[in-house]
Amino acid sequence: MSRRKTERLLNLTWALMATRQHLTKDQIRESVAGYESNSDDAFDRMFERDKEELRELGVPIEAGEFADEMGYRISPDTAILPDLDLTPEEAAVIGLAAHVWEHSGLAGQSAQAIAKLKAVGVDVDTDAVGVAEPRLSAGEAAFDQVWDAVHARMPIRFSYQRPGHEPSTRTLEPWGVVNWRGRWYVGGFDRDRQAPRLFRLGRMSSDVSKAGPAGSYEIPEHTDWREVAYGLFGAPPTEAAVLRIRADRGHWLRRRAESVTTGADGFDEVHIRYGSVEDLAAEVASYGPDVLVVGPGPLRDATLRRLRRAAGAAS
Amino acid sequence: MTASNAQVSRMLALVPYVQEHAGIPVADIAAEFGVEPRVIHRDLNLLVMTGVGKYGGELIDIDYDALETDEVVYLRDADFMSRPLRLTGSEAAALIVALRTLRASAEHAQIPIIDSALAKLESAALGTVSAPVDVHVDPVDPAIHQVVTSATNQQRRLRITYTGAARDERTDREVDPLRVFTSQGRLYLEAWCLSAEDLRFFRLDRIESAAETGDPVAGHGARPRELGARLFTPGSSGVDALLDVQPAGAWIVDEFDATVVSNDGGTLRVRLHAGDEEWLRRLALRHADVISVVEPASLAADVTSAARQALAAYDEVSPSKE
Repeated sequence: MSRRKTERLLNLTWALMATRQHLTKDQIRESVAGYESNSDDAFDRMFERDKEELRELGVPIEAGEFADEMGYRISPDTAILPDLDLTPEEAAVIGLAAHVWEHSGLAGQSAQAIAKLKAVGVDVDTDAVGVAEPRLSAGEAAFDQVWDAVHARMPIRFSYQRPGHEPSTRTLEPWGVVNWRGRWYVGGFDRDRQAPRLFRLGRMSSDVSKAGPAGSYEIPEHTDWREVAYGLFGAPPTEAAVLRIRADRGHWLRRRAESVTTGADGFDEVHIRYGSVEDLAAEVASYGPDVLVVGPGPLRDATLRRLRRAAGAAS
Repeated sequence: MTASNAQVSRMLALVPYVQEHAGIPVADIAAEFGVEPRVIHRDLNLLVMTGVGKYGGELIDIDYDALETDEVVYLRDADFMSRPLRLTGSEAAALIVALRTLRASAEHAQIPIIDSALAKLESAALGTVSAPVDVHVDPVDPAIHQVVTSATNQQRRLRITYTGAARDERTDREVDPLRVFTSQGRLYLEAWCLSAEDLRFFRLDRIESAAETGDPVAGHGARPRELGARLFTPGSSGVDALLDVQPAGAWIVDEFDATVVSNDGGTLRVRLHAGDEEWLRRLALRHADVISVVEPASLAADVTSAARQALAAYDEVSPSKE
């Protein structure tokens, strides 16, 4: 956008804000600097584009009638930020939120939102609350394009690279993004697989391209896209296992124990709940001879499989 | 958003902000908007070229004396925009996701405040805000969270029982809390550890018990450490290992920031740096189905011997031969 266009967009905004009545296109062409030396067609096209761009920037331009002619204005009732009546604590958490993003674009958007609040006299004194200071970064090359696509409901195409695999091209209708353990994932409908899938942004190439217009699909009703991400969080601990843990060892397993019975042979019998056989088997194997599985069988087998591989590796 | 759209958007917020804070220094405006002061100067120079009409009296005016001598800003003839526009979809989404992140790491008592702030923010936005964005933080014991947060805010010493992450050990220590923060989806306490006589990070979910000792914290002259992208950046000390990773374990490469040295038909040879040999030994045992240790030889021998001892112990508990 040229400097002239920036000026014109601001002029148009100020003129439409300052007016009480709707301004007709002729009035706009006459009074707003930047539209002078254009033919009728060129003016029409330019004005339509400007109007659209301002709307995209969140400036609500209203169309209405004035003296039987179509006119435009920005109505203070819908456009102006209302008083929010924030308590000092609410203002403080919003102030903290402004520092969460470690991503220049979103940090800028947050800062701008805060500046608007401060312009209506909101005092964001972050000392008023003691909340943990989270930081949210987004260093993934594909982040900006995925973020925009999710908000615009725009299908995207990208190259996806899993370590040890050839990259493949995927087409996705994104439903939402989730940050888990500090990494970003996008969930949605994978058109190639014809099923919901989850992709890690760090494995997507940076050249994410548009695969269709914005708003061209609906997120299926009753589909919580977070369910797609559920696999990340692990299954809830419903199964029961019995372990033998050497005295003063296996502390992280003991933390989750339902009961611990001290044995005579230097081992304690520990009852524990788990969600995934493989996850618990991996944890148990990591302690070597300090933690042994009594049961159930599948957990014992999964643990022994790891131990045999480890024992045989050097032989 | 393009850079110039960002400029229009910023100026729409700038005009009411500067009017509410008449006489504000350029540097303060720049800090508020997260840009360089020269960007604000450029904005102001452009701003005076605009107005509700084309003629002198209709243009926005600025006190150039004050700007040039004192670097402070007074706007005139901009009363048509003395209040800001509602939050745009992108502004609201950025702030709402940030608040959800706070909420995920907040202590129980603070959640209602964050929820009401969220509700009021949504009413400040233009139209409905769709923010299909979720930030997950691993849950911790609310009682521990409360004690640790309160001691940190009140600057009181804590006695904690902590289960180590790298080593299989459980220790009691006294710590002087510095701050509670979230990183990579987990809550941490940064505190001065009186036994280690140094700053330490403690994962809140690994704190088994926490109680105030009744003493205030002592000044140790320690400041919170800057966090890199990954919390525990490996230093020059520690151990380097060379591992063979089967295709099914390829996720390990990303998970631990390993460097791929070669690829033999899908089996990756990777170099991994760790702070601690015990941590590496446990990693190799944990994922023995997909990892094998190539170097160092001492680590490979440790892993084999631990696995053999474990297998021998199974023969004791269950006499039937596997």
